[in-house]
Amino acid sequence: MIGAIIGKELTELRRDGRAIGLLAIVALLLALGLVTGLATESAREREVLAASADDAAVFLAQGEKNPHSAAHFSRMAHKPVAPLAAFDPGVSAYLGQVIWLEAHYRNPAMFRAAEDAPELGRLENFSIAGVLTLILPLLVVLMGYGGIARERERGTLRQLVGAGASPLAVLLGKFIVIAAVAFVVLAATVAVATAFSLLSMPEAGYASGDLLLRGASLLLVYGIYIVCLTALTLLVSLLVAEARAALLVLLGIWVVTVVGLPRLSASIAEQVYPSPDSASFWEDTRASLQANRPASGSADYVAVEREVVERALGREVRADELDGLAINRGALRLEVTEVIDAETYNAAFAELFANYERQRNLRRMLAMLSPTIALQHLSRAYAGTDVGAHEHFSLEAERQRNRIVRVMNEDMLINGAGASFGYVAPAEFWEQVPEFDYQPPAVAAAWRGSLGDLLILLLWGIAAVAALFWFGGKRIRV
Amino acid sequence: MSELLRARDLTKVFRSNTALDGLDLSVNAGEIVCLLGANGAGKTTTINLFLGFLEPTSGAAFVDGAEVGANLKRTRGKLGYVPEQVSLYPALTGLENLDYFVKLGGGRADAARLRGLLDEVGLDRGAAEQRVGGYSKGMRQKVGLAIALAKGAKALLLDEPLSGLDPSAANEFCRLLRRLADDGAAVLMATHDLFRARELADRIGIMKSGALVEELSPESLDQAALEQIYLRHMHDEERATEEART
Repeated sequence: MIGAIIGKELTELRRDGRAIGLLAIVALLLALGLVTGLATESAREREVLAASADDAAVFLAQGEKNPHSAAHFSRMAHKPVAPLAAFDPGVSAYLGQVIWLEAHYRNPAMFRAAEDAPELGRLENFSIAGVLTLILPLLVVLMGYGGIARERERGTLRQLVGAGASPLAVLLGKFIVIAAVAFVVLAATVAVATAFSLLSMPEAGYASGDLLLRGASLLLVYGIYIVCLTALTLLVSLLVAEARAALLVLLGIWVVTVVGLPRLSASIAEQVYPSPDSASFWEDTRASLQANRPASGSADYVAVEREVVERALGREVRADELDGLAINRGALRLEVTEVIDAETYNAAFAELFANYERQRNLRRMLAMLSPTIALQHLSRAYAGTDVGAHEHFSLEAERQRNRIVRVMNEDMLINGAGASFGYVAPAEFWEQVPEFDYQPPAVAAAWRGSLGDLLILLLWGIAAVAALFWFGGKRIRV
Repeated sequence: MSELLRARDLTKVFRSNTALDGLDLSVNAGEIVCLLGANGAGKTTTINLFLGFLEPTSGAAFVDGAEVGANLKRTRGKLGYVPEQVSLYPALTGLENLDYFVKLGGGRADAARLRGLLDEVGLDRGAAEQRVGGYSKGMRQKVGLAIALAKGAKALLLDEPLSGLDPSAANEFCRLLRRLADDGAAVLMATHDLFRARELADRIGIMKSGALVEELSPESLDQAALEQIYLRHMHDEERATEEART
């Protein structure tokens, strides 16, 4: 029976010019999203590679120089294009792409793509994820709003039931067809986006297995979204007497849950947990840096001095031995301050990211009112373009900054005894400074970080399907 | 003869409106019973109660001895139903519509049998392959009847199936019903067509305000007598309505 319903629904769909036209429009929008996404991210990837190479060449060619001066000159950490940024650019355009790894300062990421976007580009973020999130629900609504309501209006439902058909089977058949058509559109899109990301950005060096797992994860969560949308659409069609009224109700739900609430939730989260502005963040951080630095000569300060010297010399140093060592005292002071300040910076940035997490948790609560919010979180996480991915990059860049500054300071400390800041490192020294070999977190990290969102989306899907078949199982009004 | 359709003190009240008031009626195998009456007399409500589309307020409907409410699937399986407006899927052909309804009703849907059924109801083969979006009402009724026949239903419920059919199509339809009854089917047909009812029915029931007010045997009266009886009941109703209004 289900097979007959599926066959009939597909035949009707195939013969309905409007449905074919609608599918063609959605396919066109997705193709445009794919092309623009790939073009943008490929260009960005080329820029990152070129800028990284330039940065390395300039750093290595700086000749003889004082290492501390070079530590200010230092390096740039370029954030690679996220694995599936062409699918979902997420918040990457708003969080900066490059971090200047400078001595003394943990700088925030700069060069936000959004700042460079042309005027119109700032208005809308056209991407595959955007099209899928916004347009896919419309596709499902337009395919399904008349699912039951139109059958009731036309009298075919009455006749089907009169002929002995099970209303629940009719409902199930329609559910399968609508969800399957939307899923085919989705699967083709995710497959093409994943394949193109893999082929068009080989220099990025992402493990193909990881990329495929990300694609599969996106397929899963968007699939759950489709199930949820289909069930809700047919539920409204089941409960509302007329097809036109069902369409109006569904469009209302679409405006509220797909267009309104996701944007409103971001505003609410920002109001409840405001992000600090740049000036106040740095003012607070500077105050903390001052407050956390122990007085020179204090026991805490000396303990850090010993730790720094032992690490530089590669051996234990007695407390009474410290003053007599032939080392560059200026470099020691610099490195001690770096070590102490690093903890303060870490705490300040941890609080900043914790605030982003609080915002996300609040949005997650609001996802109980709109599955689109949960889907957005999951989509960005699996595409590698969420705040979590940026935090990982920021932490790794800070570790690299600590490494570079330490190499510089230790060279000056060991080889510049008595020369104070007049010490000059040889030209070939810069090759000893480690390159920034950033490895983005694997998809498993995204899975762990977004379990709550997945749970909420699953709950939406289960609740919608359960409601549909519970109401469908009752005596349907024919 | 076995009793295939039976209404026992069947009553349906919609809020304050009594649509059916203690109907007692039976239709035996091989028998055609026509229900006459004005709009709102309770004919369609009776059919809906047999089909289980409505639940009775009191009393019960039985199909082949089984009470409808408690055995919905079983009783529907024994019923063929042709509404006034046969609703089909306009994007599908007549044959595809028949195939779909038969499969969903759990019937056998091999192509030869389906074509045979459409031949039997008089839908020509060319038309059967066309989408029903372009069908006339008569062609739709034929497909509707083929759907009912395909189940091999023991009893047929027909809700004003002749309305809108041209005389030739109506004659053809009636001939087919008679043949089905002769083959053992019980037919309950709601209609406004006094002429066809007298020609076709074994018994005629006149319904008024939800009650069966008269049962007649067409053999015992001519067309004029039937019209007179029918109009008398209808005028009674009009007078009662007028009196109530004044």
